[in-house]
Amino acid sequence: MGNLRNISKAVYSLGFDFTYVNCKENFNGLTHLIIPGVGSFYAAMSHLNERELGDCIFDFAKSKKPILGICLGMQLLATFGEEGGGSYGLNLIPGKILKLDPGTENRLPHIGWNTTHFLKNHPVFQDVKDNLDFYYVHSYYFKPDSIEYILAESEYGMKFSGIVGYKNILGFQFHPEKSQTNGLKLLENFCNWKGIC
Amino acid sequence: MLKRCIKCGFPETYETIEFNDAGICNICLQKDFKDSSINWVERKKMLDHLINEYRGKYDYDCLIPFSGGKDSTFTLNYLVREFKIKPLVIQFNHGFMRPQLLKNNEKTFKKLGVDVISFTPNWKVVKRLMKEALIRKGDFCWHCHTGIFAYPMQIAIKFNVPLIFWGEPSSEYTAYYDYTKNEIEEVDETRFDRFVNLGITADDMKGMIRHDFGLDERDLMPYTYPKLRDLKKIRFRSVCLGSYIPWDVKKNVKEISDELGWEGDQVENMPLHLYGYEKIECYMQGVRDYIKWLKRGYSRVTQMTALDLRNERITKDEADRLIEKYEGKKPPSLKLFLEYLEITEDEFNELVAKTVVSPHVPDFNRPMGNKTPDFEKWYREK
Repeated sequence: MGNLRNISKAVYSLGFDFTYVNCKENFNGLTHLIIPGVGSFYAAMSHLNERELGDCIFDFAKSKKPILGICLGMQLLATFGEEGGGSYGLNLIPGKILKLDPGTENRLPHIGWNTTHFLKNHPVFQDVKDNLDFYYVHSYYFKPDSIEYILAESEYGMKFSGIVGYKNILGFQFHPEKSQTNGLKLLENFCNWKGIC
Repeated sequence: MLKRCIKCGFPETYETIEFNDAGICNICLQKDFKDSSINWVERKKMLDHLINEYRGKYDYDCLIPFSGGKDSTFTLNYLVREFKIKPLVIQFNHGFMRPQLLKNNEKTFKKLGVDVISFTPNWKVVKRLMKEALIRKGDFCWHCHTGIFAYPMQIAIKFNVPLIFWGEPSSEYTAYYDYTKNEIEEVDETRFDRFVNLGITADDMKGMIRHDFGLDERDLMPYTYPKLRDLKKIRFRSVCLGSYIPWDVKKNVKEISDELGWEGDQVENMPLHLYGYEKIECYMQGVRDYIKWLKRGYSRVTQMTALDLRNERITKDEADRLIEKYEGKKPPSLKLFLEYLEITEDEFNELVAKTVVSPHVPDFNRPMGNKTPDFEKWYREK
């Protein structure tokens, strides 16, 4: 969970307060949940399951409060991830996490700024222009069961989901906390979002 | 000879300037965009929406940083007249306010009926800051520019007034925020760092002067931009009125003259009959303009005629004649400035020479310009 501190610092600088939740007792009083993550799908899911956090996240999602997954945290929202031998995810947005096929010109991981194109409107996109660059670091991508869940896409040898969303759940493949003004605006909008589309 | 825009006459030493193949500068091109492609009806609706969002929810509907020059006076008058807004007016006194300006201010405040806070920072600190900024950047106005933009933001937090209205957008005269981007110019720390503070934060300044100045850590508080978190916590929004209504200096000046009795003033080395409305708020303006002329080969008259040329209000020949007649003379205020900073004119010239913008070559042997009528009233150390 290497981006935990950067995300919390970003949220704090935007005028919001944060707390870390690492066990189910801490979920009381939360208004928004951000699932960060840098690393492997399998290891991260094992970690969540060991601490029984998967169920807590699931309950939080049912309460209709907003959830944002960032990078690996976004991928954990899926039904299944093939990274690290394959394991089940949180299944909050139906879909699979597959390895990117970057084509012959590109290498993995996909690292750097890339243009992100909105396919749908969303309250969290307010005052953020289309086709801006955001900062990505990943080798796997989210392939939802329905294209309805893809809110924005980017391209690296192939088109892939830059942002996925379903009801009160959102996922950014890029790192808003590393994407300067535009990333911070998305993060701020998420923190102001009530979870209703 | 400097390369100049064939339309407005801005030289290649002008900040943020670029020329197209036809020899027209980007400042002219963005002005064309402002006139032809920005949907000002839509922008006005955005202004209505913005004001309604904040109106009546705080002790004041908005904060208006105010110097008393044409732009802030217009901003205050427009918002009170058009929106019946209840503003808190905040004035950062840079130390050089002129008698006519003070008269204008009193008239404006009393006619409009507004609450005003005026803040004057420590003069001894101001003098040291002026000297350091002149040495480092050839621009002594650091204390004024950082104070004007940072201090009101602190007041916004202290008084919990999150909506802040500035006047003229910088797109009127530079391309740091290009009109062609079609965006609202947010007056925030990004903008502050981009071109207001000369790349020197208050914290940097502390390190630069504490070795020879009995500095109290708190002395630089007025020049310190508040933390983003503190501004976000009040849900601040800090914008230029000129992002919502098309800015037209001459029209604005006529409005404040007619409605408030606002009067212009003679500024050193400026033609009163044409540009008596420009930069009347500071009696060190002549020195600022003189330094600009030494560093970049143009000065305030060029800036004014450029605006008029873009608006097709004068001919190129008329502009050239005005520039030739008025620009680049030594201002009488230089004597006072040298007294404040305790340096000689040779030392001043040496400092300025280090920051000259290539390919301009300065001429330090210019004749002295005329004194303004209020010259004798300006503060003297001796």
